[in-house]
Amino acid sequence: MNVECTLEVNGSSTTLQVAPSARLIDVLREDLGLTGTKEGCGNGECGSCTVLLDGRPVNACLLVALEVEGRAVTTIEGLLGPGGKLSHVQQAFVETGGIQCGFCTPGMIMSATALLEATPAPSDAEIRDALVGNLCRCTGYAQIIESVRAAAELIGPGSGGETPR
Amino acid sequence: MTPFDYHRPETLAEAFRIAGAIPGARYVAGGTDMMVRIRSGRERPGALISLGRIDTLSRIELGSVTQIGARTTIGQVLEHPELTAAYPLLALAARPFASVQVRNLATVGGNVCNASPAADMAPVLLALDARVEIEGPQGTREVPLDAFFKGPGQTDLAPREVLTSIVLEPPRPEARSCFLRRSRVGMDIALTSVAVHFQLAGNRLTRPRVAAGAVAPCPLRLRAVENLLEGRAVDAALLDEAARLAEGEIAPITDIRASASYRRRLTSTLVRRAITAACEESR
Repeated sequence: MNVECTLEVNGSSTTLQVAPSARLIDVLREDLGLTGTKEGCGNGECGSCTVLLDGRPVNACLLVALEVEGRAVTTIEGLLGPGGKLSHVQQAFVETGGIQCGFCTPGMIMSATALLEATPAPSDAEIRDALVGNLCRCTGYAQIIESVRAAAELIGPGSGGETPR
Repeated sequence: MTPFDYHRPETLAEAFRIAGAIPGARYVAGGTDMMVRIRSGRERPGALISLGRIDTLSRIELGSVTQIGARTTIGQVLEHPELTAAYPLLALAARPFASVQVRNLATVGGNVCNASPAADMAPVLLALDARVEIEGPQGTREVPLDAFFKGPGQTDLAPREVLTSIVLEPPRPEARSCFLRRSRVGMDIALTSVAVHFQLAGNRLTRPRVAAGAVAPCPLRLRAVENLLEGRAVDAALLDEAARLAEGEIAPITDIRASASYRRRLTSTLVRRAITAACEESR
C-alpha cells in the first residue's frame, strides 16, 4: 500500500504517494522525472546515483525515500542556474573533457560540487578521496581530476563556492 | 527487490512495540549494508524499523565518559573535532571508511551491529576498550564490545534490543595509538586491519591494547600480544615476539580477497609496524 511522502528536491517541495520500500533513486527518476541521476550498480559502490542530502553526497540507491522526508535533496538538475546556465563544475567538466560516455558524470559532478563547497582549493589527494566512491568505466579519471581542478579555479578564492540549492 | 514496510518511530518504546508486533522486523540505521542484502535476496525482513527519527541515538557527549550515539554517521565522527582530537584512532578508521557517500549514511552503531569480521570501526573501538549500551523492553545494560561480537553477523543483542551508544573511557594521558588497514584498492573490504593503543611511561608501554579485524570470525583483541607488551620497552626482539604471538592468536580464512597465510603474515607485519608507529607518534 502506498503512503504519502513529502520530498524537498532542488528547493521545491512535492508530496506524492510512494511504496514504503521505494528508494530515493526510484522516486527521483520514476515519479519526479529527474533522470539526470543514474542507477549503476544499485549497491552503493559506483556512485552514479550520487545526490546531495543536506549538502552532503550520498548514494540515492541505498536510501529509502521516506527516510529523507524533511531533508534537502539536490540532484544534478538542481545545479543549473537561471536560464539553464551550467554551474562552474558542470562547465569545467565540459571544457576539460571530464566526460566520455557521460553515465558517471552526474555523480562525479555532485561529489565534486560538495568537495568544492567544503574545500574550495583542494589538493589532488583531496580530489581523489572525494571521488573514491565514483567509478568511471571509460576510465577518464585523469581528465575528471583535471576538471575538478579547473572548477576550483573557475570558482576562485573567496567566492563562497557554489551553494547547491 | 522484495517490497517491505517501513516504520519510522520517534522513540525507542515505539520501536520496541513495532518490533514486537511484526514478525521478522529488522532495525535499520544507515542502511548501507541492509539495503544491499535486501536487494540481493539475502535478507527478507518482515518490515524495516528506521532508527533515524530517534534523536537520542545521534548525540555525541564528551565527559566523565564519552558517549557516541549509535546513529552517529562515520562522516559525523570526522566532523566532530573534539571527538577526533580526544580519540585520534576514531578518525584513523573513519577517514578511509568506504566512500564519502557511504560515510555520510553508514553509522557507528550499524557497523558494530553488523558484526562483520572486517568492520572498519571494530578494531579501533576494541583498542579503546569500548563498551556498548543496549536498550530493550526490559531495560538498559552495558556490555564490553569484545563480549558483544558472537560470530560473523552475530551479536549479543536479544530480539527487540537496540544498541543505543558506544561508551568510551576518557582519553588517557600520554596515549599513543595507530590504525593500519590494508585492502587491494581503497574502497575494498579490509584484508586485515590492526589497531594499537597504549600509554607511554618513559619508554615503557602500559595498558597496551592490540586488536585486529578480518582475521577471525569476529574482530578480536590479541591478548597474548597485549600481555607481552605490558610494562616493556620496545626493541627489535620484543617486536619479533609480538609479531610471532599475533600469528598464533588469529584464525584467518582463504577467500577471494586473500589467502589465510597471506593474512597471517600481513597481520604480524601490521602489528609490528603499528606498535613502532605509535611509539614514534609525536604529541
